[in-house]
Amino acid sequence: MSTQSVTITVDGTPIEVNPDRMLLPELLDKGFSIPHFCYQESLGSDGNCRMCMVEIAGKKRPQISCDTPIVAGMEVRTRGESIEKVRRDILELELINHPVDCPICDQAGECSLQDYYMEYGLYQGKVDKKEKHHFDKHIDLGANVLHDQERCVLCQRCVRFCRDVTHTDELCVAGRGDHSYITTIPGETLHNAYAMNVTDLCPVGALTSKDFRFQQRVWFLATSPSVCHGCAKGCAIDIDHAKSKYHDDTIYRFRPRKNPEINGEFICDAGRLSYKETQTYLLRTCLAKEEILADAEALDRMKAILTEDEYPIVVLADANLYTEELAALQAFARTFHAQLYAPLEAYHDPAFGDDWLKSSQRAANAEGVKRLGIATEMPTLNDNTLVINVNHPDGHRTANRIDLLTHRPDENTERVPARLTLPIAPWVRSSGHLINEDGIEQYCEQVLRRNDPTPTLLERLAHFLDKGDDTILDNMETAL
Amino acid sequence: MIKDIRIVSRRFNLPQSHTLEVARQHGAYRSIETLTERTPEGIIAAVEASGLRGKGGGGAPTGAKWRLMEGEFDGRPKYVVVNADESEPGTFKDGHILSKDPHLLIEGILLTCYALGAHDAYIYIRGEYYERQQILQHAIDEAYEAGILGQSIMGHDYRVDLTVHRGAGAYICGEKSALLESMEGKRGHPRLKPHQKEPEWYFGNPTLINNVETIATVPFIVTEGADAYRQYGTERSPGTLLFALSGHVNRPGVYEAPFGTSLMEYIEHYGGGIRNGGTLKAVIPGGASTPVLTADEAAQARLDYESMQGLGSALGTGGMIVMDESVDMVEALKNLMAFYHHESCGQCTPCREGTGWVDAILARILAREGNRDDLKKLLDISETMNGKTVCVFAPAASSVIDAMVQKFETEFLRYLDTGGAA
Amino acid sequence: MSFTWTSAHRAELDALKERYPSPKALVLPALWKVQEQEGFLSLEGIEAVAELTGYSKAEVYGVATFYTMFHLQPQGTYTLQVCKTLSCALNGQGTILDHLKERLGIEVGETTPDGQFTLTQVECLGSCGTAPVMQVNDTLHEHLTPESVDTLLDTLSDKGGSL
Repeated sequence: MSTQSVTITVDGTPIEVNPDRMLLPELLDKGFSIPHFCYQESLGSDGNCRMCMVEIAGKKRPQISCDTPIVAGMEVRTRGESIEKVRRDILELELINHPVDCPICDQAGECSLQDYYMEYGLYQGKVDKKEKHHFDKHIDLGANVLHDQERCVLCQRCVRFCRDVTHTDELCVAGRGDHSYITTIPGETLHNAYAMNVTDLCPVGALTSKDFRFQQRVWFLATSPSVCHGCAKGCAIDIDHAKSKYHDDTIYRFRPRKNPEINGEFICDAGRLSYKETQTYLLRTCLAKEEILADAEALDRMKAILTEDEYPIVVLADANLYTEELAALQAFARTFHAQLYAPLEAYHDPAFGDDWLKSSQRAANAEGVKRLGIATEMPTLNDNTLVINVNHPDGHRTANRIDLLTHRPDENTERVPARLTLPIAPWVRSSGHLINEDGIEQYCEQVLRRNDPTPTLLERLAHFLDKGDDTILDNMETAL
Repeated sequence: MIKDIRIVSRRFNLPQSHTLEVARQHGAYRSIETLTERTPEGIIAAVEASGLRGKGGGGAPTGAKWRLMEGEFDGRPKYVVVNADESEPGTFKDGHILSKDPHLLIEGILLTCYALGAHDAYIYIRGEYYERQQILQHAIDEAYEAGILGQSIMGHDYRVDLTVHRGAGAYICGEKSALLESMEGKRGHPRLKPHQKEPEWYFGNPTLINNVETIATVPFIVTEGADAYRQYGTERSPGTLLFALSGHVNRPGVYEAPFGTSLMEYIEHYGGGIRNGGTLKAVIPGGASTPVLTADEAAQARLDYESMQGLGSALGTGGMIVMDESVDMVEALKNLMAFYHHESCGQCTPCREGTGWVDAILARILAREGNRDDLKKLLDISETMNGKTVCVFAPAASSVIDAMVQKFETEFLRYLDTGGAA
Repeated sequence: MSFTWTSAHRAELDALKERYPSPKALVLPALWKVQEQEGFLSLEGIEAVAELTGYSKAEVYGVATFYTMFHLQPQGTYTLQVCKTLSCALNGQGTILDHLKERLGIEVGETTPDGQFTLTQVECLGSCGTAPVMQVNDTLHEHLTPESVDTLLDTLSDKGGSL
């Protein structure tokens, strides 16, 4: 806090607050429940929804707390019959032209309107259905965002996001009065790389993700904190997944997780949709050239090659691996007198990068690679070298190699078959640390339960390492 | 007996009163000729001492508003904006000034700019006043030509530029902050109220907004003195107002009168009484945002802020809509609520949704599909619309609903009890 | 389709720009000029206003749809705007409107097949003392009676669509 805190009384209890802020954000941070639509932490308040009313001693009328400055000694009431009636009445007006179609609305379960109704409303509808206004539904705004104008409460969070955050200004409020609606310019669409954030910002079911809608009811979803692997920015995300009977534990979406140091409350659309890569085209079987092998047989052959062949060994590591995995590869390299590289050039993608949350460095742990002292150049390779390729995008150039791969090789790229190919589980199946391009280290929890027997990289490497090799951890701790 | 007092309207009836020639022959711009005899502070003090109150409907003390413009504001330019967005149903007085004596307004603007240290002034005129805008613009052009406006006003070392800004059809832009939003090129959404007393802001610069008639009153106060103005009207509502009559009177129109004049005498004297010898039923005293008065209340009413407030209504713009016995008050309220529904800017939930809902319920009542719960519903919605929005549009609608439903309940019940038959 | 300012309009807007603290103030004046040029506001015209003022196209679109006097669709040669608010309603606007509907054979919001007349109802025109009134494009007509409306429409029709 930049200034001295002051004491105010809220619902009879004295609390210390920051007088530089408005009342609403301060009270929300202190755990008070005050309904609000237009106020949003990253976007600030607009003052249009009128939901966040509180009573202030000495003021004749209820005040919107998002625009009430904090004054030392003020007495605030957020509860009580009269203020709750005010909220109930305003909420009722939000609902008069709302279709109340929760059973078929994707937002159900994470809808502010629904939550507030359960908390403050619970009245019998007074609205004659014939009196409701009707607006357009399922409008494709582009960028995977669908708009249902009837469900909109006109809080303008989406408009303000495109105006104040991305500065792309695709959206506006058009019309007037109760015929106002959110729209793009006719014939145009959302075109910014962060557009899907509006589906998170929308407090109701007016803006939903085309990718997620109708896929899963949100109350069946479990949420695990993680980090996006889409680039070196390392945006914090929540991974929503569900395991239903007879089905694999499945990821349904990535959502931004608040991390003020990195991504605030937002992520890019590419990162948001990258969850698909963690569960499609996964490699499930071991191969010798193109012949399917049992897992045990493949491991035996790999051991044989490593110990019997006389080629010098080079390990090519994916720079998206967790720091723990990279450290284990270092130990592996020591054990087999191999050279370890994590060539970074392959991850350089200027077309992807921007000046906000998208980095041209597409490897999630490039910084971890550097801190562990792993060589980042591409070594000169030929078939007199045995290459152990761990998910590296350029790891398939020579024939004398063993692949440890998460995804099935892309059939469209020219690729010499490896001598041996062993699957490893995708990153959402294991846990570990990543260091982003600004040096911020974050931990990713294991998200998914095991759906298939594919081992993780660490499980694979365990077959080759001395269990007592403490240097793995030592080396990692030094790096971090 | 009413005696005619003409302060703002003194040149209204002259032929070609809107031309510079006629206006100057009858005293226009004398206060500017003698500008060097006055100090800015002197002008502000005179306006303050006159007790002049804003004539656009709110009645706020003008002097106090001007005082908010004092100070350096980090050297930012100061602006004067004249609110000519006259759109309040029943109100058409400012239009008279614009078309009959635009030079009086320009003179007032010059004095105001000089007093406040402003060099750029704007007149925000409603889009529908196109013909009145043409007359006004002609007057401004004449004034530029004559050196009254421009680089050195009437030879004094002071620049004033005056620009007419045309609205495009939005009642809410008569609300001062919505007007400024509109002049900044935006939707006319009223701004959140400041947390302390301060001027308005135009692109972040301190700005005064006054109504046309308020500014047009300034020349009289400056030339004749505050006391000359105060000799008319009442202690708390000094001076005069261009009251207006429409509806069921024999001679509708705009007639200036001192505050405190008896409402009924005014209707008799200027309006020539109720049309066709009819009986008065009700009066909406000051534009469509003031609560209706019954005939009994109207009989006690005086045309000043305090009297109207005492009767639970408001003086508003002084534009009276007079209704005789033939008027169906349910239809009248429906008409007004259709207006509110149409004109709500849509920013605040209670107003955006409330005005539309009330309009829909009234339509249902008129279609004889209403029920007794509807009256309670109207009053409930009205309560939610009152005091919970950014501006006073919804509270005004709320007061109009309450007064109509409460004072003419029997008329509403007639629609509700017949269950289909008239 | 594209939109180009007439040189007169461009010059007027350039001059007007000097009068304001920001070019953003020109949104309404510029939209008026687009409407004058095109008879309505095309998306290209809106884009030109955005370029002139520094607002985004979407913002200008939001503004254009807020104000009732701006039209996003072409209108008839004459837009008849019948005032419907209380003072006019008390003085027979209903009769005038019915008469117009019957004579023109169209409903409110429609345009005659020959494209001459668009019939609209508007809120208070600020001429309550001369009710009932209607505005035809920018010209106010007061103290209307069915007869005076007939005379007016005859005159306008004779002009054959030229103003």
